[in-house]
Amino acid sequence: MNESPSESLILLVEDDVNQRALFEEELCDEGYRVVTAGDGREALSVAAEHKPDLVVMDVNMPVMDGLDTMARLLEANRHVPVIIHTAYASYRESFSSWSADAYIVKNSDLTELKKTVRDLLAKRSNSDEKVA
Amino acid sequence: MNNPASPESPSETSSFADSPSPVDSYARPSDVHFAPTISRGARVRGQQSHLQNTVVMLLAGGQGERLYPLTRDRAKPSVPIGGNYRIIDFALSNCINSGLRRILVMTQYKSFSLQRHIQAAWELFNPVMGEYIDVIPPQQRNVKRWYQGTADAIFQNIYMLEQEKPAYVVVLSGDHIYKMDYSKMLDFHIEKGADLTMSCTKVPRAEAARFGIAATDADNRITAFVEKPTDPPTIPNDPDYSYSSMGVYIFSTEKLVRRVIQDVKQETEHDFGKNVIPRMVEDGDRVFAYEYEDENHSVSVPPGEVYWRDIGTIASYYEANMDLVKVAPQFDLYDDNWPIHRRSQPGPAARILSHGEDRVPVIVDSILSTGVIVSGARVERSIIGPRSFIHSWASVEDSILFDDVEVGRNCKIRRAIIDKHVKIPAGTTIGYDLEEDAKRFTVSPEGIVVVPKSMALT
Repeated sequence: MNESPSESLILLVEDDVNQRALFEEELCDEGYRVVTAGDGREALSVAAEHKPDLVVMDVNMPVMDGLDTMARLLEANRHVPVIIHTAYASYRESFSSWSADAYIVKNSDLTELKKTVRDLLAKRSNSDEKVA
Repeated sequence: MNNPASPESPSETSSFADSPSPVDSYARPSDVHFAPTISRGARVRGQQSHLQNTVVMLLAGGQGERLYPLTRDRAKPSVPIGGNYRIIDFALSNCINSGLRRILVMTQYKSFSLQRHIQAAWELFNPVMGEYIDVIPPQQRNVKRWYQGTADAIFQNIYMLEQEKPAYVVVLSGDHIYKMDYSKMLDFHIEKGADLTMSCTKVPRAEAARFGIAATDADNRITAFVEKPTDPPTIPNDPDYSYSSMGVYIFSTEKLVRRVIQDVKQETEHDFGKNVIPRMVEDGDRVFAYEYEDENHSVSVPPGEVYWRDIGTIASYYEANMDLVKVAPQFDLYDDNWPIHRRSQPGPAARILSHGEDRVPVIVDSILSTGVIVSGARVERSIIGPRSFIHSWASVEDSILFDDVEVGRNCKIRRAIIDKHVKIPAGTTIGYDLEEDAKRFTVSPEGIVVVPKSMALT
């Protein structure tokens, strides 16, 4: 199995245009392919079309918030790893956020986000191999 | 009944904070303030009471296929029993007798009858005091499926726990007949600092292969949990007995939520006994066996034995009823220390009528419910449901009649269960020729005849 990062497709869900552009660029620099969505509903249709390997999910968004969106994504595909990526720590107290594989509070330093993406994709490809 | 735990027991939060969650080290919220809050209603005196930080989730969603046709029109917990009761009344009575007054009843199939019963019988709770009983059908919040199993039923209702954020969750099943003080089990759970406590009865090792069996160490910590084991582990220092799960669980809420989320992401049957609990034990969670302490102090139960019945089949349902009608009943409904609450039926008291020498009624070892009339008939070892009418020269033996059953003159009925609103024409015989009965009714392998609700007979 080819484990080069470019194999992996990340869905980035983020309503803020500037942040979306920044995170997209940074993730592309890491060698991933990235598709984006600006709210929860859009994320659901993008996910259905592109079948991402991992989702980075903002919480506070118009139209549909990230927690509700995540639950629906997981209903469609319970195996896709989701990283909650929000400016607020308080959503951790919500049980519905516990379905996420990781919870990262937004930071100008993206090291934690990148590392988490890498680890989760590695974990996923390991378990894929086990299945195969 | 309130039994607040001693002040020196560990607080609700400490056991959560100790070990990192095996579910997901990333999302482990180190800075989360996991404080139990009571979202609705005032808190009564004794704010530290663990009972007030506990929610009951009673699972009443099974199809009850093996009790068919009694479950044709109702969920199993709603099946009448003992004349005036419904099966769910026993678990709910245990809750209020234990001081647990925050109750969620999760329904699924054929919930109308159950919903009605709870409305009519169990609206005893005071919202001002933060008490409630809520009947919750599957809401399909973010999922497009019915409950796939017991663990999935909890998963789909995480939102309900979210609202309440209790420290502990008591998970019960609505189809068991027993008397149990859950507050004692809760004290045990807290004392052990457990993630999960499972109530167990002792069963002879020879019979253990039929049950979910827990292997325990000397401290009652469960070291393995297996459904229907071929080589059942025994209780330490008691090699003839094994611990069998009763399907009564107390979870620390955080652990419960994490474990059902984890389970739902995997290809399992989403069942506590088959999937979640074995996994918890394997992963090193603190899972303990609590030995069931029977609050049913009937003198007819032999010393050392406890009363707990799983109503799984027509035969076990029939026997549980018969346990109530014996001269000295196995299950004591008269004990004021552990009352079983039920729906109060309006109507006159039972009447027994005689019409001269050839029509003297004979009624022995039987229960007659509200509004019953027995007119010059013979009733032995039977339960006669509310407003049922038994006419002259009829004979009813070893049978269970539900509400509003009319037994015509000269009928002979033996070992039968007659569901509601059945009019049995004069001269009918049921239970004496099972081959003949099987052409019209359901006959269990043990030879118990079941006449379904509202069946028209000629």
